[in-house]
Amino acid sequence: MLSKILRTAALILVAAPSGLNATAARLTPEQMRNASFLDTVSIPTPGEFFLAVDKQCQPNWSKLLRPSVPASTSDREHIALHLGILVADGFMAIEAQDGQSVKNTARDILLLAKKLNVSQQIVARIQSISDFSDAGNWNRLREELDAMQNDIRLCLMEQKDSPLVVLAMAGAWVRQLDMASNLLATNDISASTALLVQPEIASHILTRVENLPENSKKRPIVKQLSEGLHTTAALMSQSTYSLTPSAVKSIASIMSAITAAAADVDFKK
Amino acid sequence: MKQWALLFVLSLVAMAHAQEEKSYPANSSPLAWNSHDKSPLSLALELAAGNEGEGYQVHDGFWSGTLAKSEPMLLEVYLFAGNDYRFSAANLDPFSQLRLSIFDTWGYPAGQEYSGASSCATAGISVIRSGRYFIQLLMTEGDKADTCMVYSYK
Repeated sequence: MLSKILRTAALILVAAPSGLNATAARLTPEQMRNASFLDTVSIPTPGEFFLAVDKQCQPNWSKLLRPSVPASTSDREHIALHLGILVADGFMAIEAQDGQSVKNTARDILLLAKKLNVSQQIVARIQSISDFSDAGNWNRLREELDAMQNDIRLCLMEQKDSPLVVLAMAGAWVRQLDMASNLLATNDISASTALLVQPEIASHILTRVENLPENSKKRPIVKQLSEGLHTTAALMSQSTYSLTPSAVKSIASIMSAITAAAADVDFKK
Repeated sequence: MKQWALLFVLSLVAMAHAQEEKSYPANSSPLAWNSHDKSPLSLALELAAGNEGEGYQVHDGFWSGTLAKSEPMLLEVYLFAGNDYRFSAANLDPFSQLRLSIFDTWGYPAGQEYSGASSCATAGISVIRSGRYFIQLLMTEGDKADTCMVYSYK
């Protein structure tokens, strides 16, 4: 055992701490094309996206928060999309350092989770979120909200509700873009439009939505989402680095419409 | 230097784990790193937790799979300008050697590697340009081993 420890120690100590980049060969186009795309890793969480938005644009987060919208629909696809949007709202409330808004959003998420039969698994998270909100521990709140989103995803997958997993994921991403594109459209922060250039994510989510069961795809909200993602993916593919003001406005319009439709309490099937 | 001390300690932990019976209980949550399971995930999360002192927080998601020598795993990620990221990977084979590398949108090497001759590896980047990046996880020495990778950001 001791010899193994010493051997490992020696191996570590002789290794160079940096400079390995010099030997790393450039990836081939084929390698990049065949790279794996994993929902839970490849798609950034609202927390890390908003952190970047905060650093680049310094928005007044408090003004961007929306009042809580009760959801009365019983349509599960609709609820899942709305739930994803609320998760992103929770991250915005964290950026605003508004503990009461975080708690209100968590309460709304719990109400929607109940409708999807996944509330039992997140009750403990809700309590932690409440505690961290009271303590103003924003970093832990981000992790806790992130973990709650993942708990919901795992529970939905366990109960064979994979279409709802896709829609919750889409909802969170739509709300991120809704917030950021509206911010960039109404302020002259053209240098930050690169934040919105995410064509691979748009295409990936679009593919997932298009592969939903027909029963889910026929919902008006899902149709609207699919059409919006299609247009957004095309707009994002126009440039690698930035978007034109008109493209930003178009994305803002699309994302706001989907967000508003998801919160529409008078939604009719 | 802190990275190296952490890699050293985690290698010892990995070695100790390797002496015991392997068991991989299902994780109810990827962030349940303080549970008592002895898995590549728990090791990767311990490694990532070492960055918390510098203000990093762990993204609740991970890649896991069986890595074989010279058969790299390449994963697409989206990173945003202004953020700092650290990727952490580990397995339970103390004599394997892992290497984590970051590549930019065009496939050029980017960021810094802290990967040494160890079954734990990390790589980090301070992103200047938002966009698509690629994370490559390579086993340079060792046989097949269950491996896990997580990342942190600030």
